[in-house]
Amino acid sequence: MFINWALQEINLKIVYYGPGMSGKTTNLEYIHSKLDPSLTGELVTLKTKEDRTIFFDFMQIEVGRIKGKKPKFNLYTVPGQVYYASSRKIILNGVDGVVFVADSQKDRMEGNIETLLDLENNLMSMGYSLENFPWVIQYNKRDLPNTESMDILQKKLNFFNVPSFEGVAIKGTGVFDTLKSIINLVVQHVQKQL
Amino acid sequence: MVQVKKLKDGSRQIILTAKQFDQITKVLSELAAKTKASTILLADISGQLITQRGNTDDINTQILSALAASDFAATSEMAKLVGEDAKFKLLFHEGEKRNVYLSNVGDNFFLVVVFDVSVTLGLVRIYTKKAIQNLLNVFESSEQGDDASKILDQDFSSMLGDMLDESFK
Repeated sequence: MFINWALQEINLKIVYYGPGMSGKTTNLEYIHSKLDPSLTGELVTLKTKEDRTIFFDFMQIEVGRIKGKKPKFNLYTVPGQVYYASSRKIILNGVDGVVFVADSQKDRMEGNIETLLDLENNLMSMGYSLENFPWVIQYNKRDLPNTESMDILQKKLNFFNVPSFEGVAIKGTGVFDTLKSIINLVVQHVQKQL
Repeated sequence: MVQVKKLKDGSRQIILTAKQFDQITKVLSELAAKTKASTILLADISGQLITQRGNTDDINTQILSALAASDFAATSEMAKLVGEDAKFKLLFHEGEKRNVYLSNVGDNFFLVVVFDVSVTLGLVRIYTKKAIQNLLNVFESSEQGDDASKILDQDFSSMLGDMLDESFK
């Protein structure tokens, strides 16, 4: 979090984390397409030719002034592929909250668990832990035929019982609920920390 | 001292007072005047833009700072891989029309100087070095700011919730 008293700005960094192709960039693209252009900046995506995020996507959103203060949210995604491990660590630098975008398809369970462990490792190396860090889960791709039941997903991934959402990011289902939830959680968390 | 607070869970909070902000802006203005740099940014290592000087209309400086922070972080990893103990202190990108000079300011911040190829690198280096020293002095000045609890009270949370609902319609 970065507070600039001269400009009365509060800046928070939220990172979308998850396995490759789980829909992290799609979440940002949907938010970008639906928000009033006056509230959102450009969406930068660093993609390969195959549409995979190579370094990160970035977008800033604002909601106007509250009690004279201007909250700004910097949204980032990380590349999901296993071999971009150092990029993921870099992007978590200074993070205030995480959205874990899981892929609900049965054959992606292992990828979800692996990436969640990777997230925990990276958070721990910065002195945080999933147990007391603000994060939420979005179970994406609920519209696909071969999805795992919510029960099993919750049991296997949501061991700290954080807020969770069913998503179809490409159609926007669950996207704003997820974002709102993480923003609230981050703000509450900051209040508790002080 | 610029307040870089470690919270209970290990997360980081940076707070800049109005006075420090003014002083920082002054240092950047001086640097811009002396180097004829087209754009100068000060950002924190998480990619957060703090302040800017020069021509900032044609460039999306928010994105520039996010990219520059990643650039820095990526080269620190590179430094580790090649057996360098500390981070690389500066990065230089040479272009056909413009050059970009990035330099660490202490552990938490960095400067981005964008300048025309007609300006010599040596000049930019010398004045940037001076500016960094001045910025470090500002950061160490012993002024305490209010912390986030003054802003993020219960009222704020509920109003933020309402505004998010409104924006996300």
